[in-house]
Amino acid sequence: MSIDRVSGLALLGIAIFVAVESRVLPFGTHSRPGPAYLPFILALFLGAMSLILIFYPKKDSLIIKQLRWREGRHALAILACCFFGTFAIEQLGYRITMIIILGFLFAVLERMKIWWALLWTLGLALGSFWVFDSLLKVPLPRGGLGI
Amino acid sequence: MTETFQNLWLGFATALTPANLFYALMGCLIGTMVGVLPGVGPLAGISLLLPTTFGLDPTGGLILLCGVYYGAMYGGSTTSILMRIPGEAASVMTCIDGYAMAQKGRAGPALFISAFGSYIAGTLSVIGLMFLAPPLARFALGFGPPEYFSLLAMGLIVLGYMTGGSMVKNLAMIALGLLCGMIGIDHMSGYFRFSYGVAALGDGIGVVPVAVGLFGIAEILSTAGQEKRPEVIKPKLRDLLPSREEFRDALKPIGRGTILGFFIGIIPGSAHIISTFVSYAVERRLSKHPEKFGRGAIEGVAAPESANNAASEGALVPMLALGVPTGPIPAVLLAALMVHGINPGPLFIKEQPVIFWGLIASMYIGNFVLLLLNLPLVGLFVNFLRIPYKILYPMILMFCMVGVYAVNTSYVDVAIMSVMGMLGYLLRKFDYETAPIVLGVVIAPIIEMSFRQALAMSGGKYSIFIQRPISALFLAGAFLMIILALRPLIKKGIDWGWRSQLTKAEKGD
Amino acid sequence: MIKWRWLWAILLGIGGLVGNFGIAFADYPTRPITMVVPFPPGGVADLTARPLAAALEPILKQPVAVVNKSGAGGAVGMQFVAVAKPDGYTLLLALSSISVMPEVDKLFGRPQTYKREDFVPIALLNADPTVLAIRKEAPWKSVADFVADAKKRPGEIKYSSSGMYGTLHVAMEMFAHAAGIKLRHIPTQGGGPALTALLGGHVDAFAVGPSVIASQLKAGTVRVLACWGAKRLASMPDIPTFIELGYKDVEFYIWAGLFAPKATPPEIVKILREATKKAAHSAEFKNAMDKLNTPIYYLDGPDFQKFWDEDAARLARAIRNIGKVE
Repeated sequence: MSIDRVSGLALLGIAIFVAVESRVLPFGTHSRPGPAYLPFILALFLGAMSLILIFYPKKDSLIIKQLRWREGRHALAILACCFFGTFAIEQLGYRITMIIILGFLFAVLERMKIWWALLWTLGLALGSFWVFDSLLKVPLPRGGLGI
Repeated sequence: MTETFQNLWLGFATALTPANLFYALMGCLIGTMVGVLPGVGPLAGISLLLPTTFGLDPTGGLILLCGVYYGAMYGGSTTSILMRIPGEAASVMTCIDGYAMAQKGRAGPALFISAFGSYIAGTLSVIGLMFLAPPLARFALGFGPPEYFSLLAMGLIVLGYMTGGSMVKNLAMIALGLLCGMIGIDHMSGYFRFSYGVAALGDGIGVVPVAVGLFGIAEILSTAGQEKRPEVIKPKLRDLLPSREEFRDALKPIGRGTILGFFIGIIPGSAHIISTFVSYAVERRLSKHPEKFGRGAIEGVAAPESANNAASEGALVPMLALGVPTGPIPAVLLAALMVHGINPGPLFIKEQPVIFWGLIASMYIGNFVLLLLNLPLVGLFVNFLRIPYKILYPMILMFCMVGVYAVNTSYVDVAIMSVMGMLGYLLRKFDYETAPIVLGVVIAPIIEMSFRQALAMSGGKYSIFIQRPISALFLAGAFLMIILALRPLIKKGIDWGWRSQLTKAEKGD
Repeated sequence: MIKWRWLWAILLGIGGLVGNFGIAFADYPTRPITMVVPFPPGGVADLTARPLAAALEPILKQPVAVVNKSGAGGAVGMQFVAVAKPDGYTLLLALSSISVMPEVDKLFGRPQTYKREDFVPIALLNADPTVLAIRKEAPWKSVADFVADAKKRPGEIKYSSSGMYGTLHVAMEMFAHAAGIKLRHIPTQGGGPALTALLGGHVDAFAVGPSVIASQLKAGTVRVLACWGAKRLASMPDIPTFIELGYKDVEFYIWAGLFAPKATPPEIVKILREATKKAAHSAEFKNAMDKLNTPIYYLDGPDFQKFWDEDAARLARAIRNIGKVE
């Protein structure tokens, strides 16, 4: 299966999802479009595009097996950090969250020497906190522990 | 004419006082910093400085804030070119060709041309602002919902074939971006769409988390695990400056970008990012080598950067000439004046010549200061690329997270950024362009609202789009573009048909 | 031998505990206070909050930080304070839209992001009635002309607003309902675009706060026909009120008030009310409000509650009259 076909299927799924979800909202009339009017039309358009991709994929596009995922494990770990940060930043506070994330990236993922990693982690986490919180007066959360 | 020059003289006298010079310098510095940091854009920077200006005199305060505003446009291109992370949402287009140039070792020229283009655009726009503010503002007011819709519709069509790759895929991405932009409250009916009860989604997905996620995070995800790190050649001084050919190639795009950006900027309610997309698409259309775009074409850096700066100064035209805010940033600037008891209105230029002309003069100075600031920094910035990537990318990740969070102190934005990062990574794997999504998110609310407002204005008759001259013009342009775009497809269709006949014939043998 | 180290540790521990959990009320405030403004910087709420915060600081002897938490018409920031710890360190500076949103939620049958009852009012700071602005080229010389024209061609006169069920929309519909006329509503994305629409001639009228329209009025690009107040505006003494003209119950104010979460202890609320009274009457605050063309209209807690309840009832009626527009 070529990648165009696979991605086309995914887009078709999104289009169907939007079309179904927008049925809850009033469609309105053509002279007074309601909130569902344009989303539905866009969903139809996206659906049409995805059908074209499914049935007329580019001739020289790769097939699924040919995709390289070598950086995949790394990417997954970084994404996990992002999502962890999302929820931790207000619960644990900015500095602790950053120390955890940066420490993980430097020491575990990149396997830097521990003391070197620690230096960078603390430097960046605390330094950025100072720049934003004290210099730019952007309140960064201090988390449940008050740090 | 002489009156203008007299006023300008007065303006320079005001702008060159040590206090105002200091504020201009401060503004430019902070603006550059704010522009370089991903996520935190000029709006955030200006909002943060707003309370500080309460204690200053109105001229100084306005000079400071405006310095941040156009300064951020200079700084935004730096991270775009060096790391493919938009420093602020409007720099997304620079990421495409700017980063490609950096990867070929031409980061220096890219940074140079971007600073130079920004300077030309900035200065020319101030001249426009100076001479043409009142009539231009009145012209801009004539842009109502039907004109908006037609203009944006034309812009979207133009985008359909702006970058390489399949047009179908680009159109799909635009549709996806538009859908993402429709998340949130529908201003015309009060219904919440696709927000599933999350209050923070009620206002929609911001363009900042989307841009930073799709470009910055996705870039890190794609590159961090690579075993072969991109080789960064130590740049020689010669490599920091653009070649004569690059310089020549960049001049016309700078000119076109400036004019386009300025006129799009004066329209109330348009976003700067639209000017960058449109100028990029125009350059691609006009270029004799469109296949260069996306792979390091200097025009792809010069035009958007100039358009950016021109648009940001164009946005000041209705604000200064009529007291009408064209967007969130001019609204904050207006507030900064209102706090001092000055209410900008149509009489602002006449009643407050010191402030107006002082600001104009300060903008000339500020643009020049920024040019001087950014050029030597090119060498510094290029060396930044030599930091080993394994140290660089956690740093980038941190800046992205804190930058996006800082905009609204909302962790939901960080979540959106992460999701967009994942999406961007997958899209790149599957060979899609991600820039149209950003544009879709920005345009969606404007185009939908304009469409429905126009219909409300006309009582439901679609003829309003053709009856009003400017709107009709844009629609005609859009139609023309569709025809032009379809020509190769029609040819291909004939090609396909022919080829499939061939294969059938082969099979039959 | 007495282990001094242990004694010190125990004493420090007790001191820490007492300091954090002990006599919190009597010493309120002991740390910085956050004033949440649920709108982006530069708006009416923001420009009222900042001078107020600055005036409160010397009185409360603690920093008062203004934090903008904008989104969903203010719902994000309001919800944030509604569920915040009611210890007096998180306050809300809200506009009259605080009463509107729960009503709109009720209208749409969706769960309310917050309720009016989630807040205890501390003080009202200003209450500007909106005014009816028209273009200078418009043919109407008075409200009577406007109403007569509207009756002749129902649904033809266009007006802009800052959004569906926004303040400018509700105000206009209140008048339209009382006058028995039908107007055509063109929502925009905010007060700025609404003004732009009028100046560009894309709509014929709109309701707006007097401070916003003052400069345009002076320059002569717009005219004002009436105001939604109980009394005439000091800054526009020739403009009649709708009540004078015979439209009963047509009153609409864009007001700003200070709130705290409902469960905040009454002693702390009392301290805040005293402090805000002093701050609102301070010279710096007056100065700041004068510059913004927004006269101070101060009401203390209980009076504010009465005002708020009346205003909210009016708004609720108006919203129910508007109903759902598809």
